[in-house]
Amino acid sequence: MSINRKKLGALLCVIAAGIAVASTAGAASQSTPGVTKTTIKIGGTFPLTGGASLYATIAYAEEAYYGYVNAQGGVNGRKITDVVLDDQYDPSKTVPEVKQLVEQNKVFAVVGSLGTAPGLATWGYLNSHQVPQVLLATGDAYWGTCTQKVGFKPKPYCKTPRPWTMGWQPDYPAEAKLYAKQILKQNNPKIGVLYQNDAYGQNYLAGFLQGLGSHTGDVVAKEKYNFGDSAQVVGAHVGALEAHGANTVVIFATPTASIQALATMGAVLHWSPTTYLNNVSANRLFVLAAEQNGANPAGIFSSSYIGSQTATPKAPGMKLAKKIIDGTHNNTLITDFNNGDNNIVYGLAVAYTFVDALKRAGTNPTRASFMTAIRSLHEYKNPFVYPGIAVQTSKTRTFPMQQLILEKWNGPLHDWRTFGSVLSPGY
Amino acid sequence: MTRFLSPLARVQPTVYLVVAGAVFLLVGSLASARFASLTVGGVGVGAAYGSLALALVLIYRATHVINFAQGELAMLTTYVAYQLIQWGLTYWEAFFATLAIAFVLGTAIHVTIIRPVQHRSVIGTVIVTVGLFILIDGIANWKWGGIAYAQLPSPFGFGSWDVGGVPIQHLYVGMFGIVLASVLLVWALFRFTKIGLGMRAAALRPAAASLAGVRVDAMLALGWGFAAVLGAVAALMYEPSQFSGLTPTLMQTALVYAFAAAVLGGLESPAGALVGGLAIGVFLNMLAGYAPQLVSLEVPFAFAALLATLLIKPSGLFGHRQVQRV
Amino acid sequence: MRKQLPALGSVAIVAAVLSVLPFVLSDYNVYLGAEVGVFFIAVLGLNILTGYTGQISIGHGAFMAIGAYVTAVMSRDHQTNLVLTMLVAFAACFVIGLLVGLPALRLSGVSLALATFALAVSVPQLPLQWSNYLGGSLGVQASSKPSSLLGISMPGVAALSNRWIYGVAWAASALLFGMAWLILRGRVGRAFRAVRDSEIAAVASGVELGLYKTLAFGISAAYAGVAGSLFVMASNGFAQSQDFLVVLSLQLLIGAAVAGLGSLWGILVGAAFVGLLPKISTSVPLVGSDNGRDIVYGLLVILVMLVLPGGFAGLLARLRSLTRDLNRESIPVKLR
Repeated sequence: MSINRKKLGALLCVIAAGIAVASTAGAASQSTPGVTKTTIKIGGTFPLTGGASLYATIAYAEEAYYGYVNAQGGVNGRKITDVVLDDQYDPSKTVPEVKQLVEQNKVFAVVGSLGTAPGLATWGYLNSHQVPQVLLATGDAYWGTCTQKVGFKPKPYCKTPRPWTMGWQPDYPAEAKLYAKQILKQNNPKIGVLYQNDAYGQNYLAGFLQGLGSHTGDVVAKEKYNFGDSAQVVGAHVGALEAHGANTVVIFATPTASIQALATMGAVLHWSPTTYLNNVSANRLFVLAAEQNGANPAGIFSSSYIGSQTATPKAPGMKLAKKIIDGTHNNTLITDFNNGDNNIVYGLAVAYTFVDALKRAGTNPTRASFMTAIRSLHEYKNPFVYPGIAVQTSKTRTFPMQQLILEKWNGPLHDWRTFGSVLSPGY
Repeated sequence: MTRFLSPLARVQPTVYLVVAGAVFLLVGSLASARFASLTVGGVGVGAAYGSLALALVLIYRATHVINFAQGELAMLTTYVAYQLIQWGLTYWEAFFATLAIAFVLGTAIHVTIIRPVQHRSVIGTVIVTVGLFILIDGIANWKWGGIAYAQLPSPFGFGSWDVGGVPIQHLYVGMFGIVLASVLLVWALFRFTKIGLGMRAAALRPAAASLAGVRVDAMLALGWGFAAVLGAVAALMYEPSQFSGLTPTLMQTALVYAFAAAVLGGLESPAGALVGGLAIGVFLNMLAGYAPQLVSLEVPFAFAALLATLLIKPSGLFGHRQVQRV
Repeated sequence: MRKQLPALGSVAIVAAVLSVLPFVLSDYNVYLGAEVGVFFIAVLGLNILTGYTGQISIGHGAFMAIGAYVTAVMSRDHQTNLVLTMLVAFAACFVIGLLVGLPALRLSGVSLALATFALAVSVPQLPLQWSNYLGGSLGVQASSKPSSLLGISMPGVAALSNRWIYGVAWAASALLFGMAWLILRGRVGRAFRAVRDSEIAAVASGVELGLYKTLAFGISAAYAGVAGSLFVMASNGFAQSQDFLVVLSLQLLIGAAVAGLGSLWGILVGAAFVGLLPKISTSVPLVGSDNGRDIVYGLLVILVMLVLPGGFAGLLARLRSLTRDLNRESIPVKLR
């Protein structure tokens, strides 16, 4: 019996070694994937279902724009195919899906993927495989601070540079800085901050405190909540802000918690402090939802960087947007657009930037030429972006959009109205 | 008669604990308006946790199965209500229609899926309910996942009563009231009707009940039906309280807390489940309100309570000690 | 001797096929093969606990998380050899598994299920609380270069390439499978089965319940730790607490149940079930659609449990006894 056991053990070890040696052969290299004479294939991961599915309209809008461009002959004679995969905002799903996009679908670039956690889970892979990961639909600052090779300094979250990654929208710390500067214009502000207990919220808070400069003492309370907390727990945090004597509230929260905070302030606490809401949660649909739940959002502030189809429907960009969306014959999408879903305009704007960069990548684009193009953008006339705001990149400017316009919620109109001029929070 | 009284005697220490807790909350509420507000909110949402926990307990008592799909089933029935309202029913018409549909769904699930596996190991039944979880989640996402924003109209509105400077929301009082009413109705059903007696017998002594002419499997199916109704009540009450509309993930965190509540109160004790739910609802609110630095530990705390209960008093606060005879 | 031949035959076939696959499959499918290898180890370990020792755990995702973070943190801070981190993960999770097994001695059945569920829900929150060291929601990125296995230098090995992960995962699987086979064949395995079949009889026969129950926890946790370590490597070296939520523990349990007891093929099928099915390519019609995937997966899980209570191994056993009866040419005994 024991002899057989030893033999079996030895056999297994040999097999193990054999598998290890045999399988670690090198892989072959390839020419520009995703590009043929007539097509160019890109891909992205989005939460089409699951808890974050309210962002799905971004993907649909991007597809709509690519369809519009294709109908006009495509880019340099190539039609754009967009492979959209549903990761349900779950990074453990994003990783295999991104691998699928790169290794099986052989996409040219990963464009517009949504979410910080999914992005962080895949940027190492995409950068080591030298696949463009651009126009990420998240405003965390990492996409800008980690990407320069020149003058790169290792940080806890990026020990090596990630030059193939790039964001698009104005980053969260910049937005928070803008709010801080506005608040400092107030007389004796006592600030209460509600922020999400993760990288998203902490990004905002860090920028906000930086923007306050020497006046961080004006912050009387900082309350963090967990993503997924019940409305009562979020409400408890808001109540704590009131209890600490805040007269100004800044909300750095994802849409659900933002709605819950606003509803609590209106319906439960009957409290109306000066309120700033981060623009991720300021989609008109969300504020309307908050109103339905007892919130009183008249006079709250936020910011924007894209056009609004409900505030300025006659603007040429918004008319074009309407034309494109109506052309999809997707009734849900059309209804959302007409109700003021900004995510749709966002998606169109991002897709415009992609096409802009692709056009400059040459008649036979490679991944490298595309990255060079997208890192030297001078986009001043993106029809879907707020007039006056530029999408601009260079070797030293790794944040494409660095301007915002402030807006205020108009109660009777049930919509945002921008005011003042385009501002730059300062980088 | 004494046989009914002696279990009462055993439960008394825990009842003292619960009464002490209630007194503490009352005193605190009188002292601080904020404390009162946190308590009211905690009681409201805790009632929803309690109702879901009660559904779990009902199913466990009947079939000794932990139903991981209880929350998802509750969520699905809430979407059914949403659909009925879209088709033109009023809120209360849809509410009661949904309860009926939930009942049918619960019994159907028991008959088709649970009955074949309920006598097997814990692992087998757990996995079947997990599969059910995934299936129901997929169905809800498929049918309603694409809607940008869905919401049920709130039956109680957003007004509040002013009690000594503390706003007490109609919503929370309504939630507590409806959950209490459903719990009492189900309790009355078990206690005073023949069907209820049959259900109790089928759960406690299936062999003897069968001999006495009780259709055991039918009774267990009814148990699942009523549990589904309680779950539907929980979700229908929970949805407006979250102020953020109806999504397929509505009951996922609530289920986690309902498990903790059910264990805390005792898996065999319906009253315990409700009290456990209220306790957890209030505790989470107090933690958020007064100990913000511990915010990441919310869930671990709830589960530390669950673990402590399992290790120290496995039958829960209200349960009876199970003695295993060799 | 005759009883071992079929087993040896199975092992040889599987080993041969696995060695050939990386050269036949596309790079992406090699990655999927590696994922199956990761789940193979975890399901194997869990099977030792649930199938052989009769204790339930809905918490092994927590051990995978611990193993994952061990690997990621060690290689982030000290540039440790990734294979070495796997060994450390094994040892660390063994110890932690023993510690978890101790209070679990007092629990069984439903209580144990809920207690381990508590573990699965709570452990992923810990990196958020200790974000300074464990990265919080930003996760931890390993920064080591993977070295060759057994000290032999490999030409053309790309950092954490799919083939490298495949090799390491299946080599580890083979070793751990051998180890499990040796354990379960011997006295320890007999003790495990005694505990599962009847705790009272086991105690009466002199089996120390506490020792073996805790040991089963320790071993299965160690296996899950290695699986977690490999999971991180397959995720390009990035560990994030969101990868290890309750869902993972439930998947492992499903895998163990689908596998059934006592069959290598069963564990392969179980690992493939949970490793591949949720990732079905979207190009597959109907099933591959976003919600279709979940609906089909849920239905399959239910069906398997209804129709095959013994899992895949049970199915094989039934087929084997069926063919045996046919071979004997006697009146086939009705199978229960």
